[in-house]
Amino acid sequence: MLWLLFGAHLVGIAAAVLAGRRSMQAGLCAAALAPAATAIWAATRLVEGGDVVSAELVWVDGLDVAISFRADAVALLMTLLVSGVGALVMGYACGYFSSDAKGGSRFGATMLGFSASMLGLVWADSIWTLFIFWEMTSVTSFLLVGHKHTDAAVRLAARRALVITATGGLVLLAGLILLAQNTGSPNLTKLAPISGTEAAVAAALVLIGAATKSAQVPFHVWLPGAMAAPTPVSAYLHSAAMVKAGILLIAVVGPAFGDVAAWKWLGICFGFASVIWGGVGALRHRDAKLILAWGTVSQLGLMFTLFSAGAPKAIFAGVALLFSHALFKAALFLVVGEVDVRTGTRDITQLGGLARSMPLAFVVALLAGASMVGLPPLLGFTAKEAAIEAVLKLSGGTQAVVGVAIIGGSVLTVAYTIRLLYGIFGPGPATSVAPQGYVRRRSWLMAAPAVTLSLAGVVGYAVIGGVNEIVVPAATELNAKAGVYELIAWPGVKTAFVISVLIVITGAVVGVLWIARGSNRIPLSLGADATDGIVDGVISKSPRLIAWIQHGSLPVYLAVMGTVAVLAAAALASDFAGGHLIWWDHPLQAMLAAAVVIAALAAAFVGSRLGAALALGSVGFGVTGLFLVHGAPDLALTQLLVETVVVVGFVLGLGHLARRFPPVTGSWRSVRIMVAAAGGLAVTAALVAAGTNPTGQPPTPDLVAEAVAEGGGKNVVNVILTDLRALDTLGEVVVLATVAIGILALARVRTRPQAQTQES
Amino acid sequence: MKPNQAPAIQLGIRVASPLAIVVGVYLLFAGHNFPGGGFAAGLVFGAVAILRTIAGLQRPRGTTALIACGVLMVTVVSFLPILWGDPLLDQRVVTFDLPLLGTIKTGTALVFDIGVSIIVVGLVAAIINGLSASQPTQGAGQPTQGAPQ
Amino acid sequence: MSAALLFAVGGLTSVGIYLITARSLSQIILGFSLLGHATVLGLLVAGGAAGDAPIAGTAAVADMSNPLPQALALTAIVISFGLTVFLLALAVRQQHLTGDDQVEDDLEDQRIAQGQPAENLPEETTEEITQSIEGGIP
Repeated sequence: MLWLLFGAHLVGIAAAVLAGRRSMQAGLCAAALAPAATAIWAATRLVEGGDVVSAELVWVDGLDVAISFRADAVALLMTLLVSGVGALVMGYACGYFSSDAKGGSRFGATMLGFSASMLGLVWADSIWTLFIFWEMTSVTSFLLVGHKHTDAAVRLAARRALVITATGGLVLLAGLILLAQNTGSPNLTKLAPISGTEAAVAAALVLIGAATKSAQVPFHVWLPGAMAAPTPVSAYLHSAAMVKAGILLIAVVGPAFGDVAAWKWLGICFGFASVIWGGVGALRHRDAKLILAWGTVSQLGLMFTLFSAGAPKAIFAGVALLFSHALFKAALFLVVGEVDVRTGTRDITQLGGLARSMPLAFVVALLAGASMVGLPPLLGFTAKEAAIEAVLKLSGGTQAVVGVAIIGGSVLTVAYTIRLLYGIFGPGPATSVAPQGYVRRRSWLMAAPAVTLSLAGVVGYAVIGGVNEIVVPAATELNAKAGVYELIAWPGVKTAFVISVLIVITGAVVGVLWIARGSNRIPLSLGADATDGIVDGVISKSPRLIAWIQHGSLPVYLAVMGTVAVLAAAALASDFAGGHLIWWDHPLQAMLAAAVVIAALAAAFVGSRLGAALALGSVGFGVTGLFLVHGAPDLALTQLLVETVVVVGFVLGLGHLARRFPPVTGSWRSVRIMVAAAGGLAVTAALVAAGTNPTGQPPTPDLVAEAVAEGGGKNVVNVILTDLRALDTLGEVVVLATVAIGILALARVRTRPQAQTQES
Repeated sequence: MKPNQAPAIQLGIRVASPLAIVVGVYLLFAGHNFPGGGFAAGLVFGAVAILRTIAGLQRPRGTTALIACGVLMVTVVSFLPILWGDPLLDQRVVTFDLPLLGTIKTGTALVFDIGVSIIVVGLVAAIINGLSASQPTQGAGQPTQGAPQ
Repeated sequence: MSAALLFAVGGLTSVGIYLITARSLSQIILGFSLLGHATVLGLLVAGGAAGDAPIAGTAAVADMSNPLPQALALTAIVISFGLTVFLLALAVRQQHLTGDDQVEDDLEDQRIAQGQPAENLPEETTEEITQSIEGGIP
């Protein structure tokens, strides 16, 4: 089933490309089908329950490299969000874009491509699968954020998002490798708890990776910038899907780091900073989309804090928040997008009075906003209650820090939500709706998804039992002890409720005071500028680095390679002992060796080409002698014949070049000599080191017996070549044939220009 | 390379050629039990071609056909066993009696070796033709005007 | 492990590296050839001591040299032979194009070093390069 759904996405991408040529709307409709089907499937699975569905495509069996999918309760919950919100947003985008919008193929296909990568990430059962799809979401989101690629600011924002998330992906990869090495399995469901220094390093790396994806301070700078994307993209990627990937990751691998203090505290630090700084950012900005983006940073920080805290109740609250946040934040984005399309602005200081002219949008925004604030009778309320109760269950320093984060973040949330809704819908200079440029499109297409999402908050509250059926199994899967909790529609007047009331009152006061103060400066985006500066610096400096590394001189390249090889061989020196050395196997060997080296030196230093060729021949004949002494008559015979042909080839081919080699300049020559000497020493040392600790005896007796019995021949070497290793010999023969054809082809090409020169 | 027209050398090479070919054939058959094999045999045949070229007797022809023929033989022998379900490159041993030579034990490996030697002869022929082909048309030692400006 | 053979391996490697870092293509080919010899000898040294030829029935099995590295070495000899003659063909072609066999620095890399991206190459230059690649065939 998983393959079928995934395949449907891939087919859908092709369909979206084709349909998108007609219009943006057609492309989006084609793209929406697969996510819609997936969402329905996930919903029925969640309601019906049943065994966990999994699928695996093994690639390298022995190395545990496989694409493995597993749709457990957590994955199903995320599938519902990713595919459900995805399908709704694609429907919404049909109304958002005008019917003559450009790039229909690209947008629809990339949206679906992102959706498919996200599904792969959510379903991933091995860390390798997870990483591949993780990076694919980075790439597709880069394309989506940069949809309006003709705009330089958009390109900059897209690049920033890619640089940060892709760098985070690499950090994550390092962390995952450490994790897999320490737990002994790349399987996400089989991660055993680990501890120690490596575990702490792995924890830090994984958390940094997750924090870049989930826009945690200080890696959050890409998220506000990514608001340059079309609003459907923001509603999808930056509320329900991509930013949740980091949260999902820490939720899933969290159990393995349960004993690692660094995991808990670094995670809480990320979360705490994001909750507060995100909330403050949301209060400072005027662009409605930016307010939502900063609000997302803050809300994601809440989830990060809860999952890092790791207590069962905190994990339960985290899952509940994850679910409700996707619904209300997507709805708010959709409303802001509609306001943007119909009024032409998103600046809340210019907007106002839309409650009357856009009543439906107002109701949707009110419901979603109230859910975000945490008012009953909405799903957001139950999630926030769960979070506060989770804080009450904690103890000591954790309770204090997480408590400040949750309460402070909630107060800020109330304040910026009030400011946002007041700014758009409250009294003020009534904005004229639908000015020039807005042709009355299929506006129900924009309204329906937003209504659905915001009503989901109400319905979810009404049938809280149904929501529990989704949330509780997921939480249980993440932490076995979290299964005892459930969302409660009306808890009664308890401590948590009192705190909740106080939060709302304080938040409202802060919000009203902030509106009255009327701070409308556009804040500086320090982090974003710094990030761009770093990236620009790298890009502008890299040509000089490339020019330095890749300067185009073959001899220098080869010398560098030789030096590196020498350094690599130096590592073997630790294992060096000369006890097994003898002077020679046979006195003749020593004489031949000396002759060979002298002949080689002659080949190098004799000035004339013919002399060098003859010296090479002498080396070959000397080596032939060495083979004979060693007891390798086959090698000797072959070498003798080969050498003859090579020398003839040299004489034929180079006979009419200048007689002498060109002179060599002094300093480069000495560098060459040094590299060469070091290379020779390194190879010798490596061989001695290799012989120091032989791991076995030569397999001569076995090979001899095998050759006679299996190969039916007495010459063991030749039987190995034509029988035991015949496939190698086949390859070798093909190489020779290729060389022959290549030589003929080269000869043919060069005869043509000559003919031409002679004609002219 | 300027062909050497000295009659004595030509005569010598004429006489030596068949002998060398016999040596090559011996190496081809001996390979399984004594030093030799297809590659060495091919090089001996190739050396004959080189000698005859240098002596101005004849230049090798049909290089491409040789290579194609050799590759075909080697490939067929390698892949044929698959047709009757044996692994790739599996070899069959055949024993038969011949007058004069006695019992000959040979197999598909021999065909493989012959193919190898044919390819090697082709390669040597390509070296002779490819590395020296165009030189007689140019003045000896004079660098070619390769790239017209 | 025979020091004499090790000396031959080291010496051949050194001279080989010295030659492949030369500018003249024919010297580079010489260098490759020498490195090939060094590799083959290295395989033999690593495979064990010298002994009698590994031909069943001609000597005691215990006295035979190790046949496995010999089989590997035979392949290595053949492949380095192929490589050498192919490089020779390239050198011959180079000499027909430019009149000598010098390995020039990569023009494209030099342009990048001068901060001139490849796509902005002046028209004539690209044509020139194409011509030299195609051997002047219009």
